[in-house]
Formats: sequence, structure tokens, C-alpha cells
Amino acid sequence: MPMYQVKPVSGDMEVDLPTCMYKLPSFHASHGSSGSPEHALQNGEVDPAVKALEARQDEIMRKLYELKAAVEGLAKTVTTPDADLDLTVSSSLSSSTTFKGTTDLDALLGKDLGALRDIVINANPAQPPLTLLVLHSLLCQRYRVLSTVHVHSSVTDVPPQLLSCLGPRHADSYARHMFQLGFTLIWKDVPKVQMKFSVQNMCPIEGEANVARFLFKLLAPYPSDPAAATLVDSWLDTAFFQLAEGSAKERAAVLRALNSALGRNPWLSGPEFSLADVACYCCVLQTGSAASTPANVQRWIKSCDNLGHFGPAKRLLQ
Amino acid sequence: MTKEAVQGATEEEQQAQSKKALKKQQKEAEKAAKKAEKQAKLDFAKDRYGVSAMVQSQQKLDRELVRVQDLTPEKADQLIWLRARVHTSRAKGKQCFLVLRQQQFNVQALVAVGDRASKQMVKFAANITKESIIDVEASVRKVEQKIESCSQQDVELHVERIFVISQAEPRLPLQLEDAVRPDGEGEEEGRATVNQDTKLDNRVIDLRTTTSQAIFRLQSGVCQLFRDTLTQKGFVEIQTPKIISAASEGGANVFTVSYFKTSAYLAQSPQLYKQMCICADFDKVFCVGPVFRAEDSNTHRHLTEFVGLDIEMAFNYHYHEVIDSITDTMVQIFKGLRDNFQTEIQTVNKQFPSEPFKFLEPTLRLEYTEGVAMLREAGVEMGDEDDLSTPNEKLLGRLVKEKYDTDFYVLDKYPLAVRPFYTMPDPNNAKYSNSYDMFMRGEEILSGAQRIHDAQLLTERATHHQIDLEKIKSYIDSFRFGAPPHGGGGIGLERVCMLYLGLHNVRQTSMFPRDPKRLTP
Repeated sequence: MPMYQVKPVSGDMEVDLPTCMYKLPSFHASHGSSGSPEHALQNGEVDPAVKALEARQDEIMRKLYELKAAVEGLAKTVTTPDADLDLTVSSSLSSSTTFKGTTDLDALLGKDLGALRDIVINANPAQPPLTLLVLHSLLCQRYRVLSTVHVHSSVTDVPPQLLSCLGPRHADSYARHMFQLGFTLIWKDVPKVQMKFSVQNMCPIEGEANVARFLFKLLAPYPSDPAAATLVDSWLDTAFFQLAEGSAKERAAVLRALNSALGRNPWLSGPEFSLADVACYCCVLQTGSAASTPANVQRWIKSCDNLGHFGPAKRLLQ
Repeated sequence: MTKEAVQGATEEEQQAQSKKALKKQQKEAEKAAKKAEKQAKLDFAKDRYGVSAMVQSQQKLDRELVRVQDLTPEKADQLIWLRARVHTSRAKGKQCFLVLRQQQFNVQALVAVGDRASKQMVKFAANITKESIIDVEASVRKVEQKIESCSQQDVELHVERIFVISQAEPRLPLQLEDAVRPDGEGEEEGRATVNQDTKLDNRVIDLRTTTSQAIFRLQSGVCQLFRDTLTQKGFVEIQTPKIISAASEGGANVFTVSYFKTSAYLAQSPQLYKQMCICADFDKVFCVGPVFRAEDSNTHRHLTEFVGLDIEMAFNYHYHEVIDSITDTMVQIFKGLRDNFQTEIQTVNKQFPSEPFKFLEPTLRLEYTEGVAMLREAGVEMGDEDDLSTPNEKLLGRLVKEKYDTDFYVLDKYPLAVRPFYTMPDPNNAKYSNSYDMFMRGEEILSGAQRIHDAQLLTERATHHQIDLEKIKSYIDSFRFGAPPHGGGGIGLERVCMLYLGLHNVRQTSMFPRDPKRLTP
């Protein structure tokens, strides 16, 4: 109820608006004229501009969460080196080195019989298989692996760093059935590295190169192109026969070959990091002359170091 | 001729014959007497040999007796006394070769006619029965050619005085060379070997062989290493009673003893008392003592009485702490045997060849499901909760040996249905239990578990197994006043030695074995 009314001082008069100024539409009259679009909106739909805004906001929130997860994963890796990494972390950390391609454990290792699938590797403590240690750490990132180290009775003294080369014991190691894969390393008096898996269906695999090939196949399939696959194999054999066991002359020749190959490509078998790089890096490290290698090889060594997979191998050589 | 006449004639003939025979005998006796006289006169070495009077501690001689194992070229040309057994003696004309034996060591000795020994002395030496104990004074001489058949290969003894301290009967029930001969060699060369029953019946002689000496020295080593390792880990040795009022493992295989006006039983295992010690706050205990099982099985690995080495310990959170402790003890025993008893192992291998014992450190632990998977892969059909039969255990042992190259491993998480009532069930899976078995060369040597330390759960499980609660009342009562979680297990000394050396019968590692058919010696 109005309190009081004031009678209009001036009555309705015609106002002659000047024509030399510009006109602005009147606010007060606009409520009525733009009624129709607003009515359409009031059916529950949102202005497309607002929609776009909301979409942008969601995108930003998602990126924020991803970043948060990545940071958490990083924090985990810093404090627990053997923890299974989040997919987001591994993909952001080593995006150039994740082995692409899917592998199926059942297809490679045989039907799951309801018990731990244990891979047994026998190695001589006088010649620790560095390549296999690197592959082990890659396997741990991919699967739940139960790692154990044993000393066989044929060997009397094993230095402590060889006993802890697979990392600290997993907290759940008392329950073997909770793991997908077992990696049992036995330090034994054997002439060559030997791997046993299924006694009934597989003969033992001998030689570090061959065991490396088997373990690599659990991570990623070999390149489907036969030429590329052969290249990887050839580098593997070169690494183990000529670089690790060859005379000084042979080793120099291999280093020159490495140098020229690495001049053309960032990695040994082309644009992707592969088993050949793992094997050659480990063998170069074992020869002890990593500092005196040619320029391309040095650069490649640095790239490998940056990947972070070679930690276990380097720690063992110290 | 009549019968009497014939008889008369034969009588006459007989008389004539007997007269002749008498005369002949007389003549021979005279001859022998003359000869003996002659020899007695010429026997200048009369007081350097003979059968000594029985040692009844007549006098206290301060004579030092050298051990055969100390006879080395360093003692060359020394005159020493020694006491040993005659292992063999062989006369060859004017010389007699003796092999003198002391436990695992033997040395060649020579008695030769010369200025120290007479012909009679050599003859006396040659006639000393085998296994007699003799005292010998001899000079040690170096030899140019090694004597391959003796343990002391670089020296021999030239005997100056030889006395018999204890004479053995001439016919021995078994020959020591035969007892030591490997079975295969015996068949090939047509030489005799001694079968096990004869050896066990004459255990005193059989135990003198080098193989037996080596086996029981190794067994003593096992016991010693067991005690030392556990004492170092902080365990306390206890002694438990063997006469008990109720059967512990099951009513069937228990010996009954008459106990004044009632009867009692001989303990089948120290189980109940070990656990009571844990409830009495001893924390970690072990005991070494006899175990009596009235099992009527005549197998290669069962005895009715054997020595049990038992362990029990309280743990903090998980029974794997117990497994780790037990397996570490076993590994220390194996290492101690590998490093300090190689001579004994080689001696046993000469008669009973076998593969050396291999093991892993830390010990391999597989889960029961893994074992079943390995057996199924090899073609054996068995259910998830079935117990392992003896042939399956042996097969699994071979499969594990092939994959991991170890003769010793632990199989963990057995199914609950096949374990005794006091076994703690698995909290995550009702089908399984916190129990384990340990195997050597595919044969079970230890059965252990986490024990139920709660009186109520124990009563439930006992009822489930249809055990009379009255009979085990005092056992259940011991858990009513605060009991720590605990577990343990026990091994048989004889079985462990048998399997470590790769022998095939537990009676070879038991000094005086007891089985359903044998109560003596």
C-alpha cells in the first residue's frame, strides 16, 4: 500500500526530443520487447554461452585432478621405489618409453592354474646379469611381481649388494597367490645364465640374451616388421657376444658401429626405445669404459640414464 | 668162519692197528717235543711278544700311546707305543704284514725275522685273530711307495714288541671288509656283502666299520649344530616328560605302560608340553629326546623309537616368523655339515654313493596350491583339499628339484581338513590352515603349524574332530590364562641324517634301531 501519493506536478506534455544527438533505446521498455527469447530459455535450457563456459570449467577441473594424481604418484615413487606406479604417472614420466602393444600373460605363459607363475633364473654371482635386472624393474611397473633372491648351496659367499639387487621385500610377500608373476633369482655356480619356468612344457633357456628376449616378450611384443625385429636381435647378439665377451679390438669395433647407428637414430633400432638399447647399455656399462666412448654413444648413454630404468644396474656396479 | 671168529679177527686187527697207531703217536709226540725244545732254546725274542695278562689295573704305567692318525713322516725313526685293533694279518715266509686300525684310520705294520724278532714271534703275530686289541712298540719308518690301502699312506711300523690285550674269537659273525663293500661291487666281483639284518644283529661289530663311524659322527654333528644354532637365537632347551597320562597325537599309535595301579602312555611327541612352556612365558624352547610311536609299519623310514628334535616359539604377528626361524636353523645345520663334515660325507659315499645335498638360502617356500598345480601339470589328478600321498610327495620333490635345484623346501598353507585339531585355520580362506610341511629329497621331515592359542576355538575344533574333551581338559586349560600366539614343529634326527646322506633305510642311521620286529640289541 503506497504511503502517500504525490499528484503529478506537470501533466502529460509533449517533449520534443532534439534530433542532433543520438538516440539510445529505452531501458524500461526493453523488458517487454525481449520477452520472447527469455521465454524460450526458461524451458530449462541454458544459454549456449553458459554451456561453453561450463564445459571449459569442467575441462580445467579435470586437468587439475590429473595433475594432482600425477603429483601424488611422483611423491609415492620418491618415498617407495618399488611401489606399483599409477598408470597416469608412468604415462607422463616415460611417455616416450612405454612399450606400446598389449601382451597377454596367459598366451605367453600358459593357462593360469590358480597358483603363482614363478620364473626361476639361475645366475653366477661372478657375472651378474644386468640386463635381466633392468627388465625386472620394468616388469614390476607392469605387473604385480613377487621378487625373491636365494643363494644356492654350491656358492659360499655372495656380496650383500647382490642379495638386495631386486629391491626391498614386498609387504605382501607372505601371500604368494596375490601376485601375477614370480621372479626368483638364484645365485648359483652355473657357467651361463639359465631360466626355468614350466618344467613340463618348456626346456630351460640358457644365455643372458635369450632370457632377456623371453622376459621382454612379457612387456611388449617384438616389432611385427621382420626387418626391425631382426635388427633388435642382431644388436642383442652383438652386445652379448662381442661387447661383453670380446677382445678389446672387437669391443672398439662395436662401439664404432654403435656410434654410427646412433648418429642416424635417437635409439638403436629406430625412433623407439627397445630391448636392443637395454642390452647394449648394460654391456657398455659392464666393460667399464663408458666415459671413453664416442660422442653419439655418450649422448645415447645420457638419454638412457634420463629414463630412470637403469638404476638397479648402475647401483650394482658401484 | 663164524661171526665170533670174524669179530675176533677184526678185534685183533684193531688191536694191532691201535698198537701201531699208539706207537706212531708216541713217535710224533717225541719229535714235536724235541722240536719245541730246540725252538724254545733258540727263541731269543720270547719276552717281546705274547698274550698279556688281563688288564685289571695291576700297575699304572706312564706310557704314552700314540694315535694312528698322528703317524706321519714327521715321526720317522721314533720308537712309539700304540694300541689298535688287528684289521688283517698276512704271513709271507719270514715276514708278517699286519694292518692296524683305530676308528677311521689304519696303518701297515711289519714283523720280520731279524735281530729284534724271531721266527716264533712272526708266527705268533700271524696267528693273532682279527679284531683283537694289541699293544705294539714299533719304530715309525718312511716308505718310498705310498701304501694305497691304508689311511696313513706315507709311513709303516716296524714292530719290536707285540702283546695281545684282548683276544677276539676266531670266527667273527661278519667280516668288516664285507660290511663296508658297496652292494654293486659285491655282485660284480662275486664277493660277499652283509645283509642288513645280520649287521643289525651284530651291531657292535658293524658299528666299527668306517662307514658307520662316519654316519654317527655326522649325526652327532647334526645334534650339536641344532643346539648351537638355536641357543644362539635365544632358545631355551627343555626336557619334557615321556610318561604321560593321555595320548597326544591320536589313540592308535601309543605304547601303554603299567604305572603302579593304573596304566600310562609313552609320549608320542613333546607337543603338549612344549606349548605349555610357551604359555609359561619361556617364549622360545626346543627339546631333544626320544619319541615313541607304536606304528606297525615296516617301512624304510619308520622306527618305533627315534630321537625327536622339537621347536616351539611365540611369534609377534604372523606365523611365517616361525617358519623363517625353523628354516634358518635347518640351513645353518646344512651349512655346518657341508663345511665341516666333508670327510665323513665322502666316507659314506664310498659305500653308498649319492648326489650331494643341495639347498637354497633363504629356504624356498611354496604354497600348497602351487604344489598341486605342479602335480596337475605333471598329470596327477587330485582335489584341492586332498592330502599328498607318499608317491605324490616324492614326485613333487623331483619336480621342485628340477625347477629350483633344491633338495629342501617348505610347503605352506595345507588344507584344514587333513591337519590335527589344534591347527589354526586360515583367516582368509576356511578351506586352508596356517600349517606347513618341510621336505628333504622329496620325503617329509617336519610337520608344523600355528597352534590355536584360544581355549574356546580349541574346544570347537576338538568337538569338530570328535575328540573326547575330558581327555584333553588339562591341555585346553593351559590356554585359559593368557597364551601368546605360537607355532613350531619337530624333526626326526635319524630321518634327517638318512636323507641328508642320501641313504635308503633309517635303520642305518639309528645306532640300535627299534621297529615292530626288533627289540635287541
